[in-house]
Amino acid sequence: MGLREDLERFREVGEQRRQDLAEFIQYGDLGGSGPDAVRVPIKLVDLPEFQYDRLDQGGVGQGDVEPGDPVGEPEEGDGDGDEAGEEAGEHEYYEMDPEEFAQELDDRLGLDLDPKGKKVVEETEGAFNDTARRGPRGTLDFAHLYKQGLKRKIAMDFDEEYVTEALRVAGWGVDEAFQWAREQNVPVSRAWLEERARDLDDTDRWTSIEEMEAELDAEPTQARIRRGGAGKVPLRREDERFRHPKIVERRERNVVVVNIRDVSGSMREAKRELVERTFTPLDWYLTGKYDNAEFVYIAHDAEAWRVERGEFFGIRSGGGTRISTAYDLAEAVLEDYPFSEWNRYVFAAGDGENSHDDTEENVIPLMREIDANLHAYVETQPTDGVQTGTHAGKLRDAFGEGDGVAVTTVTEPGDVMDAIETILSTEDNDEN
Amino acid sequence: MTRTDTEKRETAGELAESAREANALARKLGLDPYDVQYWVVDHDEMNELIAYDGFQTRYPHWRWGMKYEKQRKQTQFLGGKAFEIVNNDDPSNAFLQVSNDLADQKAVITHVEAHADFFNNNRWFGLFADGDGPNAAAMLERHAKRVEEFLEDPEIGREAVERFVDTVLTIEDNIEYRRAFERDPEGSDPDALSDTLASLGVSDEVRDEVFTEDWLEAVDAVDGDVRFPEEPEYDLLAFLREHGRTFDEDAGKAVEFEDWQRELVEMLRREAYYFAPQRTTKVMNEGWAAYWESTMMGEEAFADAEEFLDYADHQARVLNSPGFNPYKLGKELWEYVENRANRREVLERLLRVEGVTWRNFHDTVDFEVVADALAPPQALDAVDPDDLDAVEGLPGGYVDFGALAAARERELDVERFPWKLFTYEGLARRHYSLAKPQYRGFLGRVTRDELESVSRYLFETEQYTTVEEALGDVDFAAGWDRMFAVRESHNDVTFVDEFLTQEFVDANEYFAYEFSQTRGDFRATSTAAEDVKRKLLLRFTNLGKPTIAVYDANHENRGELLLGHEYNGVMLDLEQAEATLKRVFELWGRPVVLQTVTKRVTDAERKRARRNDREPDPEEIGLKLRYDGENLEHSELDWGEVDHLAADDLDYDTKPEEWL
Repeated sequence: MGLREDLERFREVGEQRRQDLAEFIQYGDLGGSGPDAVRVPIKLVDLPEFQYDRLDQGGVGQGDVEPGDPVGEPEEGDGDGDEAGEEAGEHEYYEMDPEEFAQELDDRLGLDLDPKGKKVVEETEGAFNDTARRGPRGTLDFAHLYKQGLKRKIAMDFDEEYVTEALRVAGWGVDEAFQWAREQNVPVSRAWLEERARDLDDTDRWTSIEEMEAELDAEPTQARIRRGGAGKVPLRREDERFRHPKIVERRERNVVVVNIRDVSGSMREAKRELVERTFTPLDWYLTGKYDNAEFVYIAHDAEAWRVERGEFFGIRSGGGTRISTAYDLAEAVLEDYPFSEWNRYVFAAGDGENSHDDTEENVIPLMREIDANLHAYVETQPTDGVQTGTHAGKLRDAFGEGDGVAVTTVTEPGDVMDAIETILSTEDNDEN
Repeated sequence: MTRTDTEKRETAGELAESAREANALARKLGLDPYDVQYWVVDHDEMNELIAYDGFQTRYPHWRWGMKYEKQRKQTQFLGGKAFEIVNNDDPSNAFLQVSNDLADQKAVITHVEAHADFFNNNRWFGLFADGDGPNAAAMLERHAKRVEEFLEDPEIGREAVERFVDTVLTIEDNIEYRRAFERDPEGSDPDALSDTLASLGVSDEVRDEVFTEDWLEAVDAVDGDVRFPEEPEYDLLAFLREHGRTFDEDAGKAVEFEDWQRELVEMLRREAYYFAPQRTTKVMNEGWAAYWESTMMGEEAFADAEEFLDYADHQARVLNSPGFNPYKLGKELWEYVENRANRREVLERLLRVEGVTWRNFHDTVDFEVVADALAPPQALDAVDPDDLDAVEGLPGGYVDFGALAAARERELDVERFPWKLFTYEGLARRHYSLAKPQYRGFLGRVTRDELESVSRYLFETEQYTTVEEALGDVDFAAGWDRMFAVRESHNDVTFVDEFLTQEFVDANEYFAYEFSQTRGDFRATSTAAEDVKRKLLLRFTNLGKPTIAVYDANHENRGELLLGHEYNGVMLDLEQAEATLKRVFELWGRPVVLQTVTKRVTDAERKRARRNDREPDPEEIGLKLRYDGENLEHSELDWGEVDHLAADDLDYDTKPEEWL
């Protein structure tokens, strides 16, 4: 008992009763869904009840309107929480997010598209181990600086008492002592010896240097330091080192999808619907597969212009068709999405019609020029229309396997799944 | 203890004081809530509670899973936090989310106290309560356990139970929500014979031998000359529980319900009746809570200065969620109730001043002077903790002298809780609505009609010599008193019916809209109060559902069930009706028939409308749907057969003649 079980049961029920995915895509009502929520109608209308016809019911709203003014599609906003005994019967959808949809489609079509990570979206800081010569004071590696200074000091250090004794050798002056010191690799300077020699007493203590050496031992630096401390350690600027973190890059899996549609006069309702049924699932699929998906919608007849998603499927204009205008615009738009940082898909749809020569002269070269994971052309040719378009055929001739171009024809809703499969598996195959 | 448990305990500790003080403030303001037990829960638990309508346990069913999903997705998209949930029970249980900030929590608590007052005082809730309260949590848990037992009973099986629950739920709204819940509804019925047999202790075998189904049905048929039910029966669940049968596929006929089925119907019916008052008073209740929350949080500064900004944000979000917003409508109506009552009180004084009549009212009365007189005295409006003498100097009825004494002893934090110094009357004056800046024009906006109507019932129209004198007699608690009375007696239908005036509709910009077939979208139809009211009443009456009643349990003398849809100008969703009818069959066991009125637009009319660019005029026709277990048939009926269903005085259609 408990909500968990109820939730599971709901998913079971929803899954059992919802429309088969293919049926939904090809024949179902896509209107209930949005870009981020795929709502598949549940076949068995769950929990019906006696209720008013929604359209006939009308309603009440608030706002400054006059009778006759259109009002937005009424939404049922009930405020927050506290809904006792609210009907469950209104919800007839099994809802899934694009990820789940993509998963299902993969299963259905036997695909396994693995999206590439491209754009560096995050640079995180790794361990603070790399060093540089310059940097903010706070990151100074003091330990290193001190060690270098210490090393330097040690290198320059010598037993002063011992060297002074060399000056006490009978007959030896600074020159002799200096030469001897050099031979011993003692880093004493001549000036230092001169200074010492000036006030020295007992300058004939030793008859010879051998005698001195036999008598005395130089105290090694370590012992001296241990005994008396390091004293002043010279810190040099050239020893300064500043730490900075190692940069770790996280790449985001981005995708930009350019949807292009011929909206010229010849693209009537039936064709438009086929385009919608093909493109919408592709958009969902890619949204589900990538971390971050952006969409560009381009409508064209003899000219091309950008539109919003909401208008994309509904627009219809008059006039002729010149497909390259759309690709020109696409290329311009895609400059904001460099291929090095973005996965790119360019999907175009129409009825195969194009201006004379435009395909060979312009479209095909543009398609080659625009780097993308995949180009696709969906030709909608309802059986009740007259087939006159040649664009698709020309594309098929120009591009072969491995070129990253999918061309497919859809004559009726039943073809949509195959078209989707063709398109998605083109990339899949090219990858593998 | 997990980290979240620790957090919850801490939060609970912090909030205990707020809860106590909120209750104290609520009582000072005149509220009378059930005791509320507050619980601190995390986000998941909150969503679960909401899915279960504010309780922790419900009978197992996938509908809760669906609600949960919907709720979860909504809060994701709208960024709305689920703020509060409180249930109707005594004591009430309210749940606060652990992660919310203090301002939100305080807002929730004040809101909850107001709800608890509503549950305790509104008479519609009294319809269900036992005498010692609704005992809701206990009831729902009992039901849950019972259903669980059915599910696990190998003789019954999960499928059968689920299927049956589904079926019953389709008509769970078809109850007589105006009546008190009757545990043993009287039935004058041919089944009395069955009951007598049962009580005789005759064994099943003997009974079946002698009193065969056919014989019993024949008895029913004879009695069938008497119309049964005599009056249309609106509680479908009760009726079907008593007289329904289920259809046995194998036997090919109707058979009696199993005991578990009867019990299940009764449980779901009881729950429907339990929730019905909440549903029929939703606008009032939400508005009530929003109103008092705002008074406590905003005006009484129950929130500290910093918290107040968070609070303003919270209120804005709640009140501005899209679509029809019961909180907003409710709150606006309550404010209107208050203002109107206060205004009436003032008018009754002013119209009794020598020389002032309803005709010359706007010319003789200086509204500036009146406004100043109505404003609360300084010491009442803003308490200076260092000047308690000023408080003492206020009119005696306003001051709680015990508290004042405690304040002088420094036993009371006057800075944080200035309201403790006052009585209900004092607070009413302090919050007097007509003195608030946004309502200063309210008095002057009174219409001549209203002035005339008020003065009609006044005796002694020359009682006062001056305006000042008259205003000195004003009862500043008139607004609140009226509100408290209304929250006891009304439900959404009567609330809207009485208080939604043209003045209200204009001030708050409400409009009615309908679907236009010509344009293919929704369009405003009217800003007239009657039309807005009609649309709202359509939504509130009968739980917003069409009225369906049992008209004949022996239709065609064949034991068929005849349901009638009482048509009010808005047609049924026919697809849904068909599906539901099939479910009803499963509770009757024999063919079921639904009579309704529907609208049809002929092609000719549609063409004509398009040509003239107007809305097509549908014709209303009688329709019969009949389901016999296998086929569902539609047939048209003569108007004479559905005439009795089409009420002439009720028409919820607001499309005007010259609409588009």
